[in-house]
Amino acid sequence: MARRVPMLVVVDRGRKAELPPECPLTSMADVVDPEERLMIRYAMTRRLALVAASAFAIIAQAEATAAQDVVKIGVISPNTGAAARYGAFAWRGAQLARDEINAAGGVNGKKIELFQGDSQCNPTEGVSALQRMLSQDKVSYVLGDVCSSVTLALQPMVENANVLLVNPASSNPQITYKAGVGGFKWSYRNYPTDEVRAGVVLKYAAQEKKIKKMAVLSVDSDYGRGAIVLTKKYLAENGVELTSEDYYKDKEADFRPILANIRRSGAGAIIMYGLADTTPIIARQMVEAGLAGKVVLIGSAEFNNPQAIAAAPSALEGAVEAAAWVPEHDTPRNKAFIAAYKAKYAGEEPNIHAYFFWETLRLVGVAAKQAKSEKQDDVRKALATITYDSIMGNVNFDDHNQANLPMILFELVNGKPAIKGTFSTKIIYPK
Amino acid sequence: MGELILEQIINGIIAGSVYALVAAGMTMIFGVLRAINFAHGEYYMLGTFSAWYVISKLGVSYPVSIILGIVMTMAIAAVVGRLVMQHLVTAPFQSGVLATLGLSLILQNAIVLGFGGTYKMFPGGWLSPVFIGDISIAWQRIIILIVTIAMFVALELMVARTRMGRSIRAVSQNIECCAVNGIDVERVVLATFVLGTGLAAMSGVLTGPVNVTIYGGMGEAVTMKTFAVIVMGGMGNVRGTLLAGWILGIAESFVAGFIGLQYRDAVGFVILIAMLMFRPTGLFSLQSRF
Repeated sequence: MARRVPMLVVVDRGRKAELPPECPLTSMADVVDPEERLMIRYAMTRRLALVAASAFAIIAQAEATAAQDVVKIGVISPNTGAAARYGAFAWRGAQLARDEINAAGGVNGKKIELFQGDSQCNPTEGVSALQRMLSQDKVSYVLGDVCSSVTLALQPMVENANVLLVNPASSNPQITYKAGVGGFKWSYRNYPTDEVRAGVVLKYAAQEKKIKKMAVLSVDSDYGRGAIVLTKKYLAENGVELTSEDYYKDKEADFRPILANIRRSGAGAIIMYGLADTTPIIARQMVEAGLAGKVVLIGSAEFNNPQAIAAAPSALEGAVEAAAWVPEHDTPRNKAFIAAYKAKYAGEEPNIHAYFFWETLRLVGVAAKQAKSEKQDDVRKALATITYDSIMGNVNFDDHNQANLPMILFELVNGKPAIKGTFSTKIIYPK
Repeated sequence: MGELILEQIINGIIAGSVYALVAAGMTMIFGVLRAINFAHGEYYMLGTFSAWYVISKLGVSYPVSIILGIVMTMAIAAVVGRLVMQHLVTAPFQSGVLATLGLSLILQNAIVLGFGGTYKMFPGGWLSPVFIGDISIAWQRIIILIVTIAMFVALELMVARTRMGRSIRAVSQNIECCAVNGIDVERVVLATFVLGTGLAAMSGVLTGPVNVTIYGGMGEAVTMKTFAVIVMGGMGNVRGTLLAGWILGIAESFVAGFIGLQYRDAVGFVILIAMLMFRPTGLFSLQSRF
């Protein structure tokens, strides 16, 4: 506190120098001798500093006592920028789970307290959000991020801090290639990877929809590029030929040059592992470029988002997506979750991230209950052996800390997702 | 192949028209203030947001929202101009950089605070396509092109013929002489600023329907591209700005179409660096006035 004192004086001098000469001499600053003024100012500041310091001490003490009664969990997700839609859903899903758990008595009697961090879908921002959570909020657990590039950047940081990262939304396979026996002990993922999805989507489009020429238009990130690398493994066996390969920046808004190329290339499908917020732009520009109805979108970018369908129904008709959760998943517990979410958030339908952040926070709660401890090290060990009964089936983690979760394949028919089957995500790890 | 090249040129000219409309305002403001307006893209964003707001919350039609969007943005700009920009006339160059960068953050985050950080869908617009041979193009884009050309003709006339235009030129040449001759420099600065931001807002409202989604940070990318355009066109040169905008638009369209979409944003930066290295006065003049 005392360090700030000289700075105040400097500011004061600067202001004096700026006073125009015609300014009337009325303020105390101008009638008191500068030396004397400095002394007065110094004494006042010292007194203020003392008061402030004691106030801080009291607050800090109060916080320290409170900290023992809560479990602090950080939620890192993109809340501004091109994936802000995901972050908003993720945060609401996590809040719903927190309220439900706290209303039921908390985790081993302790309330959950959530902290929000904005990654902007950017690794640098994600890392600084996590740093803030570790140094200021002192969280023990982190859920996040949605974007694979950010999650990959968070993994080494939680490892050093011994904070448990449970990822509920990133699909790049690398994340759990590097976890568990692969290296990172503090990273778990409760979300299926792109490993199998890329192949299943391609196979469905090639064999059921008889499309043999496809163009790539994915987001330029670890998620978008990673999914295309996996897709390429399955091209030959499905007899599919790629006509072009483009990656868009997350804030791109003009796809006309690419769509013009695709129209002439004779491609019947666009393989897109992209961002939900960009889907309506691409869909509407497909209508404009005369692609709607001739070329279908396949991959994953929330093609079933009602807003996107409303923006360009003809472009999204026939779109094929594989997702880890859809609202149409027909079980009583899923319906109960959707009803609870809608009741809390003014009738808004949850998306996949709302569901997975909700379910993953509950998973952490159950693991803590089984461990009979909310220390992150005990919970981490409990996760390794847990069998958690989720809406999408039983969750177990393999030796790479990867949950085995099914994916749902659907096709948009008359503006509604028609479920075409589910498949599991057994992963062959690179040796 | 020939038709594809033609289609990419048309795409480029329309994208470039949007850049040019934004850049024209920025270059005029630079002329009278000698300050780069780093917040210029934010007025593009404000224009789009105002129009989105009146359409989705007040239920007005798209054509009316164009007018309201521009007027609302100009009103905000008038307040900012009065409180901040007018003081930059006599302030050193660094103040302009800091003040406008600060404004950019304030405006962006005010929108995030007021409306949330998620993307909004822009309703309205004339999106039915027109076919010219094998090339299809939305009416909205044709309107963007027509409005841009009309605005540049109007700007040329205003700068050359009206008292306001002559004052703007006078202020951009010598502030002291203007003051001596009875031109109210602060008023000219304010008027230029409001007019320039109005052009950015117009560009935003017109592109809303084709870019579909709007969000607080959408102005940033536009500001970056505008730098390349005004440097290429020559700082303070309105006519050069239109041609420079089209050149950037076409170059981007070719790079995106024939090399790859991921390289598109690099075009503006490459042009910017090349211009600063080899022709810092712009493509169309040998000397800079400043």
